[in-house]
Amino acid sequence: MPPSQDPFYAGLGQAVRIGTELLAALIVGGGIGWVVDTYLLATGPWGMVSGLILGSVAGVRNAYRSAQRWPKS
Amino acid sequence: MEDSPLHPFELHNFLSIHLGGLDISLNKAVIMMWVVVGLVTILMIKAGSARQLIPGKLQSLGEILVDFIRGIILDTMGKDGMRFFPLIATLFLFILFCNLIGLIPGSYTVTSQIVVTAVFACVVYGMSVVMGFVLHGAKFLGILVPPGTPGWLLPLMVPIELISQLARPISLAVRLFANMTAGHVILGVLFGLAVSGGLLIGWLPFAFTIAMNGLEVGIAFIQAYIFTVLTCVYLGDAFHLHGSEDHAH
Repeated sequence: MPPSQDPFYAGLGQAVRIGTELLAALIVGGGIGWVVDTYLLATGPWGMVSGLILGSVAGVRNAYRSAQRWPKS
Repeated sequence: MEDSPLHPFELHNFLSIHLGGLDISLNKAVIMMWVVVGLVTILMIKAGSARQLIPGKLQSLGEILVDFIRGIILDTMGKDGMRFFPLIATLFLFILFCNLIGLIPGSYTVTSQIVVTAVFACVVYGMSVVMGFVLHGAKFLGILVPPGTPGWLLPLMVPIELISQLARPISLAVRLFANMTAGHVILGVLFGLAVSGGLLIGWLPFAFTIAMNGLEVGIAFIQAYIFTVLTCVYLGDAFHLHGSEDHAH
Protein backbone atom coordinates (compact mmCIF):
# COMPACT_ATOMS: atom_id res chain seq x y z
CA MET A 1 0.00 0.00 0.00
CA PRO A 2 1.87 3.08 -1.16
CA PRO A 3 0.32 5.74 1.10
CA SER A 4 1.68 8.66 -0.86
CA GLN A 5 -1.12 8.07 -3.37
CA ASP A 6 -3.72 7.66 -0.63
CA PRO A 7 -5.12 11.09 0.35
CA PHE A 8 -6.05 9.79 3.81
CA TYR A 9 -2.46 8.90 4.68
CA ALA A 10 -1.02 11.99 3.04
CA GLY A 11 -3.41 14.19 5.04
CA LEU A 12 -2.74 12.32 8.26
CA GLY A 13 0.98 12.70 7.71
CA GLN A 14 0.60 16.46 7.31
CA ALA A 15 -1.61 16.73 10.38
CA VAL A 16 0.85 14.84 12.56
CA ARG A 17 3.65 17.16 11.45
CA ILE A 18 2.21 20.49 12.48
CA GLY A 19 1.88 19.89 16.23
CA THR A 20 5.55 19.10 16.76
CA GLU A 21 6.49 21.92 14.38
CA LEU A 22 4.94 24.39 16.84
CA LEU A 23 6.46 22.72 19.89
CA ALA A 24 10.03 22.38 18.61
CA ALA A 25 10.44 26.06 17.76
CA LEU A 26 9.12 26.99 21.21
CA ILE A 27 11.67 24.68 22.86
CA VAL A 28 14.51 26.15 20.80
CA GLY A 29 13.47 29.76 21.39
CA GLY A 30 12.98 29.29 25.12
CA GLY A 31 16.22 27.33 25.36
CA ILE A 32 18.27 30.02 23.62
CA GLY A 33 16.73 32.67 25.86
CA TRP A 34 17.47 30.63 28.97
CA VAL A 35 21.11 30.09 27.96
CA VAL A 36 21.51 33.81 27.27
CA ASP A 37 20.01 34.63 30.69
CA THR A 38 21.99 32.19 32.80
CA TYR A 39 25.37 31.92 31.09
CA LEU A 40 25.98 34.86 28.76
CA LEU A 41 24.29 37.98 30.13
CA ALA A 42 22.59 38.41 33.46
CA THR A 43 19.45 39.83 31.87
CA GLY A 44 16.95 38.50 34.38
CA PRO A 45 13.96 36.78 32.86
CA TRP A 46 13.88 38.97 29.76
CA GLY A 47 16.07 36.79 27.55
CA MET A 48 13.83 33.80 28.09
CA VAL A 49 10.66 35.86 27.69
CA SER A 50 11.74 37.30 24.36
CA GLY A 51 13.14 33.90 23.36
CA LEU A 52 9.78 32.27 24.00
CA ILE A 53 7.97 34.98 22.04
CA LEU A 54 10.36 34.68 19.09
CA GLY A 55 10.11 30.88 19.37
CA SER A 56 6.34 30.90 19.17
CA VAL A 57 6.49 33.22 16.16
CA ALA A 58 8.96 30.88 14.51
CA GLY A 59 6.75 27.92 15.39
CA VAL A 60 3.70 29.48 13.76
CA ARG A 61 5.84 30.33 10.75
CA ASN A 62 7.05 26.73 10.49
CA ALA A 63 3.52 25.40 10.79
CA TYR A 64 2.33 27.86 8.16
CA ARG A 65 5.16 26.83 5.88
CA SER A 66 4.41 23.14 6.19
CA ALA A 67 0.70 23.83 5.63
CA GLN A 68 1.63 25.52 2.36
CA ARG A 69 2.89 22.16 1.15
CA TRP A 70 -0.53 20.64 1.79
CA PRO A 71 -1.18 17.86 -0.73
CA LYS A 72 -3.99 18.52 -3.17
CA SER A 73 -6.72 15.96 -2.58
CA MET B 1 3.94 -7.11 37.15
CA GLU B 2 5.63 -3.91 36.11
CA ASP B 3 4.61 -0.95 38.23
CA SER B 4 5.28 1.76 35.65
CA PRO B 5 4.18 1.92 32.03
CA LEU B 6 7.61 3.35 31.22
CA HIS B 7 9.26 0.20 32.51
CA PRO B 8 9.60 -1.42 29.04
CA PHE B 9 11.77 1.48 27.86
CA GLU B 10 14.47 0.93 30.48
CA LEU B 11 17.61 -0.66 29.12
CA HIS B 12 19.62 -3.19 31.06
CA ASN B 13 23.05 -4.25 29.91
CA PHE B 14 23.40 -7.89 29.00
CA LEU B 15 27.13 -7.52 28.71
CA SER B 16 29.10 -4.56 29.98
CA ILE B 17 31.91 -3.53 27.65
CA HIS B 18 33.96 -0.41 28.33
CA LEU B 19 36.56 0.52 25.77
CA GLY B 20 38.79 3.42 26.78
CA GLY B 21 36.05 5.36 28.56
CA LEU B 22 33.56 4.52 25.81
CA ASP B 23 30.52 2.56 26.93
CA ILE B 24 29.70 0.03 24.21
CA SER B 25 27.73 -2.36 26.38
CA LEU B 26 25.31 -4.73 24.72
CA ASN B 27 21.66 -4.17 25.53
CA LYS B 28 18.25 -4.86 24.02
CA ALA B 29 18.33 -1.80 21.76
CA VAL B 30 21.73 -2.64 20.25
CA ILE B 31 20.69 -6.20 19.54
CA MET B 32 17.38 -5.07 18.00
CA MET B 33 19.30 -2.69 15.74
CA TRP B 34 21.47 -5.56 14.55
CA VAL B 35 18.35 -7.65 13.95
CA VAL B 36 16.74 -4.85 11.92
CA VAL B 37 19.88 -4.19 9.88
CA GLY B 38 20.26 -7.90 9.16
CA LEU B 39 16.61 -8.30 8.25
CA VAL B 40 16.51 -5.32 5.89
CA THR B 41 19.77 -6.37 4.24
CA ILE B 42 18.64 -9.96 3.69
CA LEU B 43 15.21 -8.83 2.47
CA MET B 44 16.54 -6.32 -0.05
CA ILE B 45 19.33 -8.62 -1.31
CA LYS B 46 16.87 -11.49 -1.76
CA ALA B 47 14.31 -9.22 -3.41
CA GLY B 48 16.94 -7.74 -5.69
CA SER B 49 18.60 -10.96 -6.73
CA ALA B 50 15.57 -12.47 -8.47
CA ARG B 51 15.44 -9.95 -11.37
CA GLN B 52 12.49 -11.55 -13.11
CA LEU B 53 10.31 -9.81 -15.65
CA ILE B 54 7.23 -11.05 -13.82
CA PRO B 55 8.16 -10.38 -10.20
CA GLY B 56 7.53 -12.89 -7.45
CA LYS B 57 6.15 -11.92 -4.05
CA LEU B 58 9.46 -10.84 -2.55
CA GLN B 59 10.57 -9.00 -5.66
CA SER B 60 7.24 -7.14 -5.80
CA LEU B 61 7.69 -6.05 -2.19
CA GLY B 62 11.17 -4.77 -2.95
CA GLU B 63 9.97 -2.99 -6.06
CA ILE B 64 7.08 -1.34 -4.19
CA LEU B 65 9.45 -0.10 -1.46
CA VAL B 66 12.06 1.23 -3.88
CA ASP B 67 9.43 2.84 -6.10
CA PHE B 68 7.79 4.42 -3.06
CA ILE B 69 11.05 5.99 -1.88
CA ARG B 70 11.82 7.12 -5.41
CA GLY B 71 8.39 8.79 -5.55
CA ILE B 72 9.05 10.69 -2.32
CA ILE B 73 12.40 11.97 -3.61
CA LEU B 74 11.04 13.02 -6.99
CA ASP B 75 8.06 14.78 -5.34
CA THR B 76 10.13 16.81 -2.91
CA MET B 77 13.55 17.33 -4.49
CA GLY B 78 13.09 16.75 -8.19
CA LYS B 79 15.45 14.74 -10.36
CA ASP B 80 18.63 16.11 -8.72
CA GLY B 81 17.61 14.46 -5.48
CA MET B 82 18.15 10.97 -6.83
CA ARG B 83 21.83 11.17 -5.83
CA PHE B 84 20.67 10.95 -2.22
CA PHE B 85 18.67 7.80 -2.90
CA PRO B 86 20.99 5.43 -0.98
CA LEU B 87 20.94 7.57 2.18
CA ILE B 88 17.21 8.18 2.10
CA ALA B 89 16.31 4.59 1.29
CA THR B 90 18.50 3.35 4.14
CA LEU B 91 16.93 5.79 6.60
CA PHE B 92 13.39 4.93 5.51
CA LEU B 93 13.84 1.17 5.60
CA PHE B 94 15.68 1.23 8.94
CA ILE B 95 13.07 3.42 10.65
CA LEU B 96 10.15 1.56 9.11
CA PHE B 97 11.45 -1.84 10.20
CA CYS B 98 12.40 -0.57 13.67
CA ASN B 99 8.87 0.76 14.12
CA LEU B 100 7.16 -2.33 12.76
CA ILE B 101 9.30 -4.94 14.52
CA GLY B 102 8.92 -3.04 17.79
CA LEU B 103 5.20 -3.80 17.66
CA ILE B 104 5.81 -7.53 18.05
CA PRO B 105 5.18 -8.22 21.74
CA GLY B 106 8.40 -8.97 23.60
CA SER B 107 10.65 -7.14 21.16
CA TYR B 108 12.00 -3.63 21.55
CA THR B 109 11.35 -0.42 19.62
CA VAL B 110 14.72 1.17 18.94
CA THR B 111 13.11 4.39 17.71
CA SER B 112 11.54 4.96 21.15
CA GLN B 113 15.00 6.00 22.38
CA ILE B 114 15.52 9.71 21.75
CA VAL B 115 19.27 9.10 21.35
CA VAL B 116 18.64 7.12 18.19
CA THR B 117 16.22 9.58 16.61
CA ALA B 118 18.34 12.57 17.66
CA VAL B 119 21.40 11.08 15.97
CA PHE B 120 19.41 10.55 12.77
CA ALA B 121 18.06 14.10 12.91
CA CYS B 122 21.49 15.60 13.58
CA VAL B 123 23.07 13.64 10.74
CA VAL B 124 20.35 14.72 8.32
CA TYR B 125 20.35 18.36 9.40
CA GLY B 126 24.14 18.60 9.70
CA MET B 127 24.45 17.15 6.23
CA SER B 128 22.01 19.69 4.79
CA VAL B 129 23.91 22.58 6.39
CA VAL B 130 27.32 21.34 5.24
CA MET B 131 26.00 20.67 1.77
CA GLY B 132 24.42 24.13 1.61
CA PHE B 133 27.70 25.84 2.49
CA VAL B 134 29.69 23.66 0.08
CA LEU B 135 27.30 24.28 -2.80
CA HIS B 136 26.42 27.94 -2.24
CA GLY B 137 29.19 29.30 0.00
CA ALA B 138 28.26 32.37 2.02
CA LYS B 139 25.12 32.80 -0.09
CA PHE B 140 23.66 29.90 1.93
CA LEU B 141 23.18 32.35 4.82
CA GLY B 142 20.46 33.86 2.64
CA ILE B 143 18.29 31.00 3.90
CA LEU B 144 17.88 33.15 7.04
CA VAL B 145 16.27 35.92 5.00
CA PRO B 146 12.94 34.99 3.43
CA PRO B 147 12.61 36.36 -0.10
CA GLY B 148 10.90 39.75 -0.24
CA THR B 149 11.76 40.91 3.29
CA PRO B 150 12.01 44.70 3.63
CA GLY B 151 15.28 45.90 5.16
CA TRP B 152 13.84 47.35 8.37
CA LEU B 153 12.37 43.95 9.28
CA LEU B 154 15.72 42.17 9.12
CA PRO B 155 16.61 42.45 12.86
CA LEU B 156 13.33 40.69 13.62
CA MET B 157 13.23 38.17 10.80
CA VAL B 158 16.77 36.82 11.12
CA PRO B 159 16.36 35.59 14.74
CA ILE B 160 12.97 34.11 13.88
CA GLU B 161 14.36 32.30 10.87
CA LEU B 162 17.37 31.16 12.90
CA ILE B 163 15.08 29.65 15.53
CA SER B 164 12.88 28.03 12.92
CA GLN B 165 15.96 26.52 11.29
CA LEU B 166 17.29 25.22 14.61
CA ALA B 167 13.86 23.80 15.39
CA ARG B 168 14.09 21.46 12.40
CA PRO B 169 16.36 18.76 13.84
CA ILE B 170 14.53 18.95 17.18
CA SER B 171 11.10 18.53 15.64
CA LEU B 172 12.46 15.69 13.51
CA ALA B 173 13.88 13.85 16.51
CA VAL B 174 11.07 14.56 18.96
CA ARG B 175 8.28 13.64 16.56
CA LEU B 176 9.50 10.11 15.88
CA PHE B 177 10.55 9.48 19.48
CA ALA B 178 7.35 10.87 21.01
CA ASN B 179 5.01 9.03 18.66
CA MET B 180 6.66 5.66 19.17
CA THR B 181 6.98 6.08 22.96
CA ALA B 182 3.42 7.33 23.40
CA GLY B 183 1.99 4.47 21.37
CA HIS B 184 3.83 1.89 23.43
CA VAL B 185 2.90 3.56 26.71
CA ILE B 186 -0.78 3.42 25.71
CA LEU B 187 -0.42 -0.24 24.78
CA GLY B 188 1.31 -0.91 28.11
CA VAL B 189 -1.39 0.86 30.13
CA LEU B 190 -4.22 -0.91 28.31
CA PHE B 191 -2.55 -4.27 28.72
CA GLY B 192 -1.98 -3.58 32.41
CA LEU B 193 -5.70 -2.85 32.75
CA ALA B 194 -6.54 -6.05 30.92
CA VAL B 195 -4.36 -8.12 33.24
CA SER B 196 -5.55 -6.48 36.45
CA GLY B 197 -9.21 -6.42 35.42
CA GLY B 198 -9.67 -10.17 35.35
CA LEU B 199 -11.94 -12.06 32.97
CA LEU B 200 -15.16 -10.22 33.85
CA ILE B 201 -14.14 -6.77 32.59
CA GLY B 202 -10.59 -7.35 31.34
CA TRP B 203 -11.68 -8.36 27.83
CA LEU B 204 -12.64 -4.74 27.12
CA PRO B 205 -9.17 -3.16 27.47
CA PHE B 206 -7.74 -6.27 25.80
CA ALA B 207 -9.92 -5.63 22.74
CA PHE B 208 -8.65 -2.05 22.77
CA THR B 209 -5.05 -3.30 22.84
CA ILE B 210 -5.70 -5.19 19.64
CA ALA B 211 -7.32 -2.15 18.01
CA MET B 212 -4.47 0.09 19.17
CA ASN B 213 -1.93 -2.33 17.76
CA GLY B 214 -3.63 -2.01 14.39
CA LEU B 215 -3.49 1.78 14.67
CA GLU B 216 0.16 1.60 15.69
CA VAL B 217 1.00 -0.25 12.48
CA GLY B 218 -0.38 2.75 10.60
CA ILE B 219 1.53 5.16 12.85
CA ALA B 220 4.74 3.18 12.32
CA PHE B 221 4.35 3.58 8.59
CA ILE B 222 3.37 7.26 8.73
CA GLN B 223 6.23 8.22 11.05
CA ALA B 224 8.80 6.55 8.81
CA TYR B 225 7.18 8.28 5.83
CA ILE B 226 7.23 11.72 7.47
CA PHE B 227 10.82 11.37 8.60
CA THR B 228 11.81 10.51 5.04
CA VAL B 229 9.77 13.31 3.48
CA LEU B 230 11.24 15.89 5.85
CA THR B 231 14.76 14.59 5.22
CA CYS B 232 14.12 15.16 1.52
CA VAL B 233 12.63 18.61 2.15
CA TYR B 234 15.57 19.75 4.29
CA LEU B 235 18.17 18.40 1.88
CA GLY B 236 16.23 19.94 -0.99
CA ASP B 237 16.13 23.33 0.78
CA ALA B 238 19.91 23.32 1.06
CA PHE B 239 20.19 22.14 -2.51
CA HIS B 240 17.90 24.61 -4.25
CA LEU B 241 18.06 27.62 -1.88
CA HIS B 242 14.55 29.17 -1.82
CA GLY B 243 13.52 27.20 -4.88
CA SER B 244 12.20 24.26 -2.92
CA GLU B 245 8.71 25.62 -2.27
CA ASP B 246 8.00 25.41 -5.98
CA HIS B 247 9.38 21.90 -6.08
CA ALA B 248 7.01 20.68 -3.39
CA HIS B 249 4.21 19.96 -5.86
